[in-house]
Amino acid sequence: MKQLFLIAFRNLLSHGRRSLMLGGAIAGVTAMLVFLGCLSSGVKKTMLDAAKTVATGDLNVGGYYKITAGQSAPLVTDYKKIQAIVEKTLPDLDFVTARGRGWARLVSDQNSMQVGIAGVDMAHEPQLPKILKLKEGNLQDLAKPGSVLIFESQAKKLKVKTGDNMVFSVLTDRGVNNTVDVRVAGVAEDMGLLTSWNVFMPQESLNRLYQLNDSTTGAILIYLKDMKRIPQDMDLLRKALTGAGYTVLDRANKAFWMKMQEVNKEEWTGQKLDITTWDDEISYVTWTLQAIDGLSFLLTSVLLVIIAVGIMNSLWIAIRERTREIGTLRAIGMRRRLVMLMFVLEAFCLGVMGTAVGALLGSLVAIIFNAMNIPVPPGAQFFTMSSTLKFALVPGRIFGGAAVITVCCTVISLIPSFKAARMKPVTAISHVG
Amino acid sequence: MDGFNRFSPRSSRLRGGMIVLLLALAPTAFGAALTKEKMVDILKGIDLRIRSGGDYKALVYLEQHQKDKPDTAQEALCYRRDADQKLMILFTKPKTDAGKGYLRVDRNLWYYDPTVGKWERRTDRERIGGTDSNRQDFDQSDLANQYDPAFVAEEKLGNFKVWHLKLTVKPGIDVAYPLVEFWVDEATGNYLKRQDFALSGRLMRTSYDPKWDKLYSETKKGDLWFPHEIHIYDEIDKANSTLVIIQSVDLSPLPENMFTKAWLETKSR
Repeated sequence: MKQLFLIAFRNLLSHGRRSLMLGGAIAGVTAMLVFLGCLSSGVKKTMLDAAKTVATGDLNVGGYYKITAGQSAPLVTDYKKIQAIVEKTLPDLDFVTARGRGWARLVSDQNSMQVGIAGVDMAHEPQLPKILKLKEGNLQDLAKPGSVLIFESQAKKLKVKTGDNMVFSVLTDRGVNNTVDVRVAGVAEDMGLLTSWNVFMPQESLNRLYQLNDSTTGAILIYLKDMKRIPQDMDLLRKALTGAGYTVLDRANKAFWMKMQEVNKEEWTGQKLDITTWDDEISYVTWTLQAIDGLSFLLTSVLLVIIAVGIMNSLWIAIRERTREIGTLRAIGMRRRLVMLMFVLEAFCLGVMGTAVGALLGSLVAIIFNAMNIPVPPGAQFFTMSSTLKFALVPGRIFGGAAVITVCCTVISLIPSFKAARMKPVTAISHVG
Repeated sequence: MDGFNRFSPRSSRLRGGMIVLLLALAPTAFGAALTKEKMVDILKGIDLRIRSGGDYKALVYLEQHQKDKPDTAQEALCYRRDADQKLMILFTKPKTDAGKGYLRVDRNLWYYDPTVGKWERRTDRERIGGTDSNRQDFDQSDLANQYDPAFVAEEKLGNFKVWHLKLTVKPGIDVAYPLVEFWVDEATGNYLKRQDFALSGRLMRTSYDPKWDKLYSETKKGDLWFPHEIHIYDEIDKANSTLVIIQSVDLSPLPENMFTKAWLETKSR
């Protein structure tokens, strides 16, 4: 085997120019695949970080309350009882927090915008101070009634800074217009597209805005120690809540606000709960990930076909040039299987070296681009989920990509190698050309 | 010494007496405060004037001005059957909005979008066509039953002598604006200005109804009044405003079965 590797390697070296060109093409495709993979992972990481900060826990117990059959509100009434069931049921709970949900017009002296509101109780938000990076202001001021925490891009649009006053204006769940005056407690660094339309305000102020009592919230956000346990914990929770007499909606892979139209059409009143996962709550943006992955797959497939043709061509030439050598090797007793292996190993070596260089190159470019914080035009931010290009190096994904390309190169070399192995020694030795 | 005299007990008593006298004469000088009954009558008058009692059709033009956004204009047909409290708004222009419509069935307001071919149940206080106008601006009025009036003052609004009334929603009734102020023309009984306040007491929008037209209604056996123009100013987002023009009002009977989803869908095709 070692001898075969040596022959394959030496043969690649003896045709340096051809090997360099083909290896370069393989490296290029691998680099592109790794680069796009890092981008996809970066987008996913940004999306997950932002989602778990502003909109969702690993699991959520939300729900809808209907005053009349035609009008629902994303509310959970008497939530402390439900929170107690959650705490009792889940074995690997990290922490639980209740968050209000709202959608309102936020108006400054200069401008206005529609925003999603997360009503928070800072005493029960251990994660927020660790994740949110404040550009100005003090996060603890968010505990004060009548305060709001906004993000950088919102502050820019609304032309406000810490200490400025604004107004929240909503149509309450009973259809009455209401407003609450708020003061900017701080401005946090943007965390992608999700933070461009979400703000934080104290739960008490959100309840005042919507005219709700203290026992009502928007959803109970559940953070687990191990995200892999989400499916099992979801089942446990569903059984526990149903057992406690609550009506739980069937699972649908949609964010809570996307289900409101369907819920409005249903002829029931009162409270129904809804258990969702983090990816349900951001399902309306995960298509961007699929788009990036789809694009990577398409580009890589096209380039792989080109490379495959190149490898086959190159091997055909090598076989033609080495026909007499094949004949001699066969004549002195080399088996067909080993002849085939010799050529396959040549393609394999080329694939390993090309993908190794490509993976290194792709990773390096991703690291450099990450450090450069390259700004993304507003139109493209919907895809990147961030105002700057973010890349994440996931070793499994990089090695996986390189392995796939290497395997493709090796498999494609089987055809010419098989043909070479099938040559008759007499014909091969007497081959002139 | 002058300063001392100004605050002497004698001058203070004199000034107090003058204030009492002025307050006593005030109703004569600026117009007497209206009694509760009179104010309720005024509200009933407004409700009655706007109510056709029969069928109603009008062409409505909506113009929306928003900060940093291009102005938008929409045209819609508004149908009402006041006897059954039915309402339908069908957008006809621009092309992108043509066929969209609202239909009120019982207490539910439904919205139809022909591009997706689906009906959505919307809140009764929906902003019609995304403008600052809402269902109440096109519907019949029920002020006397929904609000308790209080007299503010008799004032001048431009050349018009008006009663300034403050209306507070009655307990247990849900309305879009729990507090409303009206400036009612003394001569005609039509309101010329209206201010809507949020539950928090913040002023949300001011609307002016400077031009009123009337038509004789056979069903009502009397005149039906309608504002020809409504200028709505967003008081929260100061740069936003909406102009509603109501024209081509027709009180002829409408087809019996037209206030249905099927009818609106047919018109949307």
